[in-house]
Amino acid sequence: MNHSHSKDSHSKESKTLTFAFMDPPFESERTVTFFRLLDTALEKGANVRIFAYEGAVALAFARQQPHGNSVHGRDSNAENHPLTRDWIAALQQKAVARELGFEWINCGLCVDERGVNEVIAGCGRGGPPDLWRYASEAFNTLTIGTR
Amino acid sequence: MKVLQVIDQAFRTTTEEQDDTIIWLTRSMRSAGGELMLLLSGHGVHYAVQRRRQPALALGAWHQTEPAEITRDLAGLVDSGVPVYAVEEDLADRGLAHLPLQNGVRGISRQGLATLYDSADQIWHW
Amino acid sequence: MSHYLFVQSQDTFTETRAAGQYQLAGQLREAGHDVTLVLVQNGVTPARRHAQCRHFDQLLQQGVHVIADDFSLRQREIDSSELKDSVAVGTVEAVIDAMLAGHKVIWN
Repeated sequence: MNHSHSKDSHSKESKTLTFAFMDPPFESERTVTFFRLLDTALEKGANVRIFAYEGAVALAFARQQPHGNSVHGRDSNAENHPLTRDWIAALQQKAVARELGFEWINCGLCVDERGVNEVIAGCGRGGPPDLWRYASEAFNTLTIGTR
Repeated sequence: MKVLQVIDQAFRTTTEEQDDTIIWLTRSMRSAGGELMLLLSGHGVHYAVQRRRQPALALGAWHQTEPAEITRDLAGLVDSGVPVYAVEEDLADRGLAHLPLQNGVRGISRQGLATLYDSADQIWHW
Repeated sequence: MSHYLFVQSQDTFTETRAAGQYQLAGQLREAGHDVTLVLVQNGVTPARRHAQCRHFDQLLQQGVHVIADDFSLRQREIDSSELKDSVAVGTVEAVIDAMLAGHKVIWN
């Protein structure tokens, strides 16, 4: 049982859930499930905090670019390729509309070694103490490892 | 809040990151005051019996100068107050049961995992 | 009694580890805890009727609640009528509900 916060289900304040994730974009089904969990958490009225570790720091990379696909027979506009930076932005907007918190921290060392320093607005940089802080302050935490 | 960190992989990052990134993460959070335990399961049990530094990689003229030191890292974790456990059956499955557990790592049976899981407030499986 | 929810993305057809994961879930159930598995991604594959996975089937017999994620099922064209008995269809909402209820939620 998490003792750091009251579990009063009648609290008028929204609960905060923390998620830690490790996968980069475009490599794993886990990425899709992760984003579905974030979306659902907001849908359920929770504040969301994310600590992106290792490859996941590329999810918020501002320079992701869509492209066409000749095998699909579609140009860039028609293909409308998903980009995780757009997914994050959509969730940020959803959080704002619902007056919920949505915070995203990338592990800074992971950012440096991957060179993905340019991130979209609203995503920050930190380190393991921030994961511990996020988890300690949250009602609950889910970590999703990579394989 | 007491967190059980579970590692069931090994050597995924030891060359490129020069450590196991979850052992590293655990040590960093411990330094930030985290109350943590570490469970080595699956291939992760290899770390429990490691005795030598990882081999240095060489590619063309590039030579690694600081390969990972898992033994040092685990010892540091235990010294910092993080209990580290290794699943005995996973060691046996891999033919490692005859090797001594290093650096203060304690063995735990699969039957004991339920109790270990229940002793933690949260379980973070990486 | 504690409440555990495992988000089960791994399956025994791909990863041998999954059998041990199912066994731990069963152990926790046998120890008197409430245990739920939410199957996601390829984790839904043992839930298909006639899928050969005795470790998974044992969980159903042990009274572990098993929910198969609808999105994952639709990706794999597994209709709800094609699931083993006792496997419910749900969504990742069950995971968030468990987190918000203070349960121990673990990703496999």
